[in-house]
Amino acid sequence: MDNNNKITTQVIETEVPMGTVHSAALEPYRLRLFVEDEIVRDAELTIGVNHRGIERIMEGLPVEKANSLTEKVCGICSNSHIWNSCLVAEKGLEIDVPPRAEYIRIIMEELERLHSHLLYLAHGSEVLGHETFSMRLFYIRETVMELLRMIGGNRVQYGASIIGGVRPRCELNEMRIQKIKEGMDYIEEKVLEFADRFIRDPMVMSRISGIGAITKADARRLATTGPTLRATGIEVDLRRDMEQYEPFEFDVITQDTGDVKANLLMRVLEIPESIKIIRQAIKDLPEGKITNRSWEMQDTDIIRSYIEVPRGKLYHSYKIEDGRLRNSIIRTPSITNINTMEFACIGTHITDAQLAVVQCDPCFTCTDRAIQIVDHPFRKNRII
Amino acid sequence: MNLGLKSYSRARAVHVMLVYTGGCNGCDIEIVNCILSPKYDAEQYKVFLTWNPREADVLVVTGPVTKHVEEPLKAIYEAIPEPKAVVAAGACATMGGVYKNIHGDIPSEEISGPVDEIIPVAAKVPGCAVRPEDVLSGVVAALPLLLNAE
Repeated sequence: MDNNNKITTQVIETEVPMGTVHSAALEPYRLRLFVEDEIVRDAELTIGVNHRGIERIMEGLPVEKANSLTEKVCGICSNSHIWNSCLVAEKGLEIDVPPRAEYIRIIMEELERLHSHLLYLAHGSEVLGHETFSMRLFYIRETVMELLRMIGGNRVQYGASIIGGVRPRCELNEMRIQKIKEGMDYIEEKVLEFADRFIRDPMVMSRISGIGAITKADARRLATTGPTLRATGIEVDLRRDMEQYEPFEFDVITQDTGDVKANLLMRVLEIPESIKIIRQAIKDLPEGKITNRSWEMQDTDIIRSYIEVPRGKLYHSYKIEDGRLRNSIIRTPSITNINTMEFACIGTHITDAQLAVVQCDPCFTCTDRAIQIVDHPFRKNRII
Repeated sequence: MNLGLKSYSRARAVHVMLVYTGGCNGCDIEIVNCILSPKYDAEQYKVFLTWNPREADVLVVTGPVTKHVEEPLKAIYEAIPEPKAVVAAGACATMGGVYKNIHGDIPSEEISGPVDEIIPVAAKVPGCAVRPEDVLSGVVAALPLLLNAE
């Protein structure tokens, strides 16, 4: 399916700007739509409002403190950031993480994927104009938030991982395991019910089928990542290559059309896979301690780590000097998806442009950390 | 409580506007959650979420206010008709949060302050991230300002 028109070089005079604070967009970003007869011919998405300079203030902090600061990069995938930041330190200092801690980290990560995907579906339904679906999904999501509050002590910034394991607060006892089991049963039942209702609704289906379609070749060219890439039919999931996920069995879900429908279904179908991983992790939860405290601080070279987070591939890298952190770089998945968001807008009707942006699961507050180097005045930018 | 006609009608439709000023998204989602989610459901108490400053009564600000949003935030505040109340929600909005106060060698130059340095704040809600219950109580604490304004 290809409904995207080619980018033309002619000057389009009608511009519909949105933002930076706009009623249709939850986060502050600026979207400029260049339209011809209500069809979007070109789009430009600018961020930068949220730039807080986290890498900059991380420079020279002690590693433990910097790790908990990475959590404040994003309020949706906070656990992913602190997990990956701890992985960098563990890789550099050669710390063995106890298996029980690995399992608890996986449980937290998959719970986070559940809440992120449910939030995506709720936000998507709201942009679609279907507020009832949105409210129902928020209600299902509340179960995940309660589980996260039970394990981590906070609904959003739970901070489970520390260097060498997880916090003692996040130890799983019988009562917590029982609650997670009950929560998983409830979410699976409710999400499948929702999916059934969603797919059978002809109004919703006609609104989302074929909107903002991205082909496989375009997705490769635009360096799309995460579920948005898998929705175009390319089977890439970093969880397959991560050694932490080796003991677990799960399927990598793909769709083939790459439009809004495929993206929404993609997230719906990934929820049972996450539940499957959580169930396996609870069933074979190893005994033993949850923190390895016998490690020594030493200087390291620059260390890199990639993990798969709800939105795609997350990259953290830094080096350690005298127990302090230097040269930190964080790359969040939304920054590589910005090109896809712009491209998905092209060729859609102007009312669907917002939907085409939202289908790529934008999270601009965590994306605002890039420097844009303009090589050429005409759209040849390089983002680092 | 004896309310005038305006206050009487205002008490039955309190419109809350939410502005993101560069936080981490955590507070923002919790606030949207506490109004839209059926579990907290502020709409049953006739509190509505709006994105239009001209129909808002309460402005909820999250985030540490980066330099880029300072002017838009003032413009939004000006656009809200009197009487109005501002609620600063979250650790960043109340005191600058981690972005302003914790740093290594170089402090961040992107943050222009907690919210009360830019616009007058009526209620401050602490927490990182704020709990939905706290947001509701913060908004309720700011309501007398609106209702006793006549």
